[in-house]
Amino acid sequence: MEYIGEHLLPGQLGRFFVSLSFGAALISAIAYFLYIKSQNQSYKKVARGLFLAHAAAVMGIVGTLFYLLLSHYFEYDYVWKHSSLSLESQYVFSAFWEGQEGSFILWLFWHAILGVILQFTAKKWEAPAMIVFSAVQAFLSSMVLGVFPFGLRIGSSPFILMRNTADNIGLPWTKIPDYLERFPSFMDGTGLNPLLQNYWMTIHPPTLFLGFASTLVPFAFALAALFNRDYKSWVKPALPWAFFSVGILGLGILMGGAWAYEALSFGGFWAWDPVENSSLVPWIVMVGAAHLMLIYRNKKTALTAAFLLSILSFILILYSTFLTRSGVLGDSSVHAFVDLGLSGQLLVYLGFFTLIAFGLLIFRYKDIPKSKKEDDLTSREFWMFIGSLVLLIAAFQIIFSTSIPVINKLFGPEGALPLLTDAMAPPLDAIKHYNSFQVPFALVITLLLGIGQFLAYGKTNAKRFWKNSSISIAVALVFTALLAQLYNFWSQGLYLSFLFVAVYAIISNLYYWLFLGKGKLGFSGSSVAHIGFALIMLGSLISNAKKDVISQSEVFLSEDLPANENALLEQKDSITLGQYFAVFEEMEEIGNEQNYVVSYFNKPGDNKYAFQLRPFLLMSDQMGPTPNPDTEHFWHKDIYTHVTYSSYLEPKTGDGFGKEALVELGEGDTALYREHFIVMDSLKVNAGINDETGEMESLTLTAVARVINVLGQEFKIRPTYELQGEVLGHTDETLYEAGLRFRFEEVNMETNDIVMKAWSKLDEDQKPFIVMKAIVFPLINLLWIGSILMVIGSFIAVFQRYKNNRA
Amino acid sequence: MKRTHIAIIVFIALAIGAIMVTINDASTYVGFNRASENPGTKYTVIGYLDKDAPMDYNARANRFNFTAIDKEGNKQKVFYNQPKPQDFERSEEITMKGFATDSAFVASEILMKCPSKYNEQNEVAGYDTY
Repeated sequence: MEYIGEHLLPGQLGRFFVSLSFGAALISAIAYFLYIKSQNQSYKKVARGLFLAHAAAVMGIVGTLFYLLLSHYFEYDYVWKHSSLSLESQYVFSAFWEGQEGSFILWLFWHAILGVILQFTAKKWEAPAMIVFSAVQAFLSSMVLGVFPFGLRIGSSPFILMRNTADNIGLPWTKIPDYLERFPSFMDGTGLNPLLQNYWMTIHPPTLFLGFASTLVPFAFALAALFNRDYKSWVKPALPWAFFSVGILGLGILMGGAWAYEALSFGGFWAWDPVENSSLVPWIVMVGAAHLMLIYRNKKTALTAAFLLSILSFILILYSTFLTRSGVLGDSSVHAFVDLGLSGQLLVYLGFFTLIAFGLLIFRYKDIPKSKKEDDLTSREFWMFIGSLVLLIAAFQIIFSTSIPVINKLFGPEGALPLLTDAMAPPLDAIKHYNSFQVPFALVITLLLGIGQFLAYGKTNAKRFWKNSSISIAVALVFTALLAQLYNFWSQGLYLSFLFVAVYAIISNLYYWLFLGKGKLGFSGSSVAHIGFALIMLGSLISNAKKDVISQSEVFLSEDLPANENALLEQKDSITLGQYFAVFEEMEEIGNEQNYVVSYFNKPGDNKYAFQLRPFLLMSDQMGPTPNPDTEHFWHKDIYTHVTYSSYLEPKTGDGFGKEALVELGEGDTALYREHFIVMDSLKVNAGINDETGEMESLTLTAVARVINVLGQEFKIRPTYELQGEVLGHTDETLYEAGLRFRFEEVNMETNDIVMKAWSKLDEDQKPFIVMKAIVFPLINLLWIGSILMVIGSFIAVFQRYKNNRA
Repeated sequence: MKRTHIAIIVFIALAIGAIMVTINDASTYVGFNRASENPGTKYTVIGYLDKDAPMDYNARANRFNFTAIDKEGNKQKVFYNQPKPQDFERSEEITMKGFATDSAFVASEILMKCPSKYNEQNEVAGYDTY
């Protein structure tokens, strides 16, 4: 059968590129292996050529998918699911990586680019490192193959036609040649999730995936070193890559935080959500790995640990991929990906590299050179090593708690080994749980990076150490006292010490850079990155510990419930929100956005508002109303607001009936609505049959029901449902005195119950209102400044290491 | 024994400590019956919205009540002193964190799972009225 209006060529091309990228990567790995075994240069040439062909094929996949999305070929499942005709063209990127297949391709893309760079720069490491790259790429390509050999499912292709997906195959419409023209639902896609229609979603995923991809380079070097039994010289070329990874993955994670803060309504930049955690943990481990490599470069110790953490970071990326894409987090995360049925394949991927990497490490453990002499207690390397251990344990704590759903799958009552009698759920208060561990860990890390700069490799001269650090401590004490006074930290011991440590780390790194390093660029990488990190800590501490929910009401429902954090604002009425007087002015409907204009005055009676915010609800068929915050930025604080409810969301009839409710009732059933009982007594059926044809022409269904009020008074109601041929009508029953209206909406075909819709009369002079949350975040700008500095510092370090390597 | 070895042992001990605390902090998925047996103890209950029962949100008092049915099929009135979550009617599954009282389950946090567009595609797929 010929289908009309389909564009099959680009899809076939796309699938060809996927197969090519898979095949070329696989054979390239084998050819590199044969080259190592035989040292035959022609194998190397073949391997190189194949990897280049693989990279070209990946570019082809990217190009084809963009072409499909831009051409709006909705016969393709991926295009239909992730884009629509009305999608603004700048969001085509977001549509590209909204689905799992697209994000796998993004990941493939970065690996391919890094692989090609490595191919031409890794020199003696090329062959073993490229085996790792090619093998990883073969696995990743297989994730988008979408083939079904021997009843197995391998990958999910973004180039599959909608009529060929497993869900649709065999359905009646797939047998209609002109289905594309016949059904309106195929003429436009379902569109992009409105939460992702944000510029951060254009730049955050590619940055994050470059970060994920970058962890593969130190991993590949470490495996190559173990494979070649050349344990020492890999650190030198791997070190700039490790810092590159720290910088770019850190940037990706922080961009995710900025997006959450700007476009999501959980009220903050970090919520310890499983998806956030699973990209943070590999970053923490990579920071540890980079510092261990530094120790090795300078003092030739901690080599085993450098191997371990370099390997672990990439394995954790794989584990995170498994966590977020297998659907195992389903109940615990709001934004984990939907399960595409690739869990098994992801497990094989994770298991393969875990076994190979750790197997090789254990196998070669004895041969890895270890330093015989004891590190001095006052040496920089000793405390850097301790710092890396703290990072490792912090990462372990986060990943363990995030893995509770996995533990539940394994050991829960329905698990493989049912050790637990109750299903284990994530901690009730996740933020409190994580903070109870991570605040002390962060405190130790920040302290170490403050002191570290004054410690020397080998042995530290005590006199010089105290001379340098006493100045920093003194200055830090002054600033800490100032901040503690301003933001009232005196009664919180842990936070107060954290405050001091963070300020101290900033001052000491500044001092180190300006006075000991004489402000030279050569010293700036670590100082700038460390100042950035300490600023992030300081900003998070103050903005979180001292955040003020100014919309919080004073009314407590019960002792153990938190006070309600939402305020109700009636139109044109003013209400006190912290130091401000807020007035909800009006709702402006712009496109599919309901903008709620709220003015903030400094004093009651002011003519001019201090500022105006417009949090909005994005109305979409797909997601329902989605709140979008609006934030006023000052240099020293942010006022973050979002609308949680509004009277505009309540459906209302022309004559003022609202508070719509749906009730399903069988014969004899009773329901409660607005302090009235509704008793459904019987259903009367009246069908008009055409005498000649015997077909039903009209159908009238009448619900015989009673409404009983609190005084026991009964009212009879007879709402009817009328079908005249194709035309559907309702006769509603209104009880004006009680202010109630009922409609016989429909009959539930499964249960044969009737569906009744009920409204009640709204208060005539009820003004429109909104329910809103407003939070003041003090000094949150320190966090963003710190983020930028940390990333800049990491890249200066990359540059320095790269330059040192070449010198 | 080297100092670094001692440090590693200390950190392994810390890791075991972290596991113990996490297991302690973790809550359990239960049904409404179990929650009612220990009123006041916080639990996580997964259920879905009972669409036959009334649902009421009083914006002025900021009180939201509805009835949920847990996985064992038990109905329970739920009380939530937060604004009604957006699109609550369309939720397929609700995760409620809170505790039982003698009259209702008091939820302090609610997560919902809504039919995603993936499911909506199935609706189109079921477009076989033709």
